[in-house]
Amino acid sequence: MIWQLDLFILGMIVVCALASIMVKDLMSAAIIFGAYSFLMCLLWTEMGSVDVAFTEAPVGAGVGTVFFIAAVFRTSRHVSRRSEGRLGMKFLGLLGAFMTGLLLMTGVHDFPGWADPNSPASQHVSTYYITKTIEDTSVPNIVTSVLADYRGFDTMFETAVIFTAGIAVTLILRRLGGGGGSHSVSGPAYTTTAGYPDTIIRFISRQLVPFMQLYALYVVAHGHHSPGGGFQGGVILGASFILLGISYDLKTTLNRISERANIALGNLGVLIYAGIGVVCLLLGANFLDYSALSKLLPGATEITARSHGMLGIEIGVAIAVMAIMVSIYVNLASHGKHDEGL
Amino acid sequence: MILNLLTVVLTLAGLFFFLATTVGILRFPDFYARMHAAGKGDTLSSILLLTGFAVYNLHHFSVGGLLVTLKVLLIAVFIFMASPTATHAIIDAGFESGIQPWTRMPAKAAQTEEDEQS
Repeated sequence: MIWQLDLFILGMIVVCALASIMVKDLMSAAIIFGAYSFLMCLLWTEMGSVDVAFTEAPVGAGVGTVFFIAAVFRTSRHVSRRSEGRLGMKFLGLLGAFMTGLLLMTGVHDFPGWADPNSPASQHVSTYYITKTIEDTSVPNIVTSVLADYRGFDTMFETAVIFTAGIAVTLILRRLGGGGGSHSVSGPAYTTTAGYPDTIIRFISRQLVPFMQLYALYVVAHGHHSPGGGFQGGVILGASFILLGISYDLKTTLNRISERANIALGNLGVLIYAGIGVVCLLLGANFLDYSALSKLLPGATEITARSHGMLGIEIGVAIAVMAIMVSIYVNLASHGKHDEGL
Repeated sequence: MILNLLTVVLTLAGLFFFLATTVGILRFPDFYARMHAAGKGDTLSSILLLTGFAVYNLHHFSVGGLLVTLKVLLIAVFIFMASPTATHAIIDAGFESGIQPWTRMPAKAAQTEEDEQS
């Protein structure tokens, strides 16, 4: 850790955060927010939590920015004039934010020092995780073993949260039956001139997509040994479809992964995760206790079975996350009508 | 020794081009010229820097190190593909939304000058 670099990145983050609030144009705010995400990712890498940074890079800086832009594109680009006039509300908001900040600042005082070995967080179970992960699970990447095995129950519900988000977006935005007259926001905040096919962008995107998908599979499969895993790999897989949707049109994406397949895959991913847990139950162990899987997997000891079980749930997470990312993008970009993209 | 020299030269060249890019973005008169600086300079300097890192990584030769070098070079290849395309996309969006390119003299003056010449 180099504190000068940390301080510099932190300063840039504060500047980005302020800028994204101050800017009137929501599209600019979305872009600045992407830069903010990327700086967070740099900071985390610098502090040594590469897994978190790797999640932030595709989720926050990549797909998240695309979601924001799609949402802004389909609603309105500028802050409405009605909300500008109310000074009283603004003052109340500032006061609230200020008080919360003050409260957090007093809390910071009680925090243990950075990477303090005597802090409560590093004394309770984390020493067990750090020292026993190879013996218990034969997985070198501690983050993966904590995430998928020791704390597998938490991660299952994280996957369920993403699944719920996808369901919610579909329920709120999806318009069935097509056409049906103009809706209130039908005139987008600004229009492009009838998006003619751009050969350069299409060609390069088409060349990049297979590499992205291959890389995503690598990230999923190699999560035991290096940063990465189901969430990151799933987001990159989803991003490859989103890239197709942006550079071509929504139909191209929907031809490759239809709405029906999307919903089915989202369900399947969560089902794989929970199903592996139930299989463990049926084999007479606890829920998500993968060591029981050694009875099913040929040539696996109780220890390597835990590693294989983690791979299984990572695959489930990746499938669910990919499907949900694609479905959120498709619904946001087309206003739920699935007819045309950005 | 040669590896060290190569690393230093590549990294310095990359840093120089990054500086030139920054100056270009800040000083050029309009959107298109700025993107021109950003697209070309950014790509070249990233590739130079990454190649420098790749060469530096060969210092203690091993198969694992070679693999890392290859991965860094792959990043360079993908930047070489993606960065100019992104610049092109941004410029295309600017052109479609009707930003006029900068000219040395105002459009009307240029028009009258052409009329006088013809």
